[in-house]
Amino acid sequence: MKRKGLLLLALAGLMVVPAAQAQIKHIEMRVEGMT
Amino acid sequence: MKQHLGRQSGVQNVEVTLIDGKVQVTPKDDGQIDPVQLMKATYDSGVTVAEMDLVAQGKVTKDSSGNLSLQVEPNRAFVLDPNELSRDLELLAGSQTVVTVRGQLYKKPPGKKKADPSTPLKLLLLEVQKKE
Repeated sequence: MKRKGLLLLALAGLMVVPAAQAQIKHIEMRVEGMT
Repeated sequence: MKQHLGRQSGVQNVEVTLIDGKVQVTPKDDGQIDPVQLMKATYDSGVTVAEMDLVAQGKVTKDSSGNLSLQVEPNRAFVLDPNELSRDLELLAGSQTVVTVRGQLYKKPPGKKKADPSTPLKLLLLEVQKKE
């Protein structure tokens, strides 16, 4: 039972890691005409 | 403008500095943020975007024409504007290496009031922060 839980945890980790590897982390804009 | 941008999908937080006209956008972790949509929303709020820089991480890919891109989401990639830094990344194209870069996605051409929406945005690399 414990082994099954660990396996599920490992699978969840594999699904999360690729998503976390690619992303936009920050955006900065310089704008004109702001009052 | 702050509220307008804050309502855009994938936006976690918006900080506006009136003195120098800087707008800092922190994306959510959901990967839904779209810089092009953000630019449109900024125009809709009545101001002109002069420059847009971003920090992003992703994998370098190369298409059949030899153009390098940075894949920042499974469904979003930015074509890299060729420069010395992009040439250094060419070796990583197609590899599993994840790079973190700072780049300029848009700069308003002198004399123009608004960006031409038909012109695709290219990412001009300013700094390669990490390769892992």
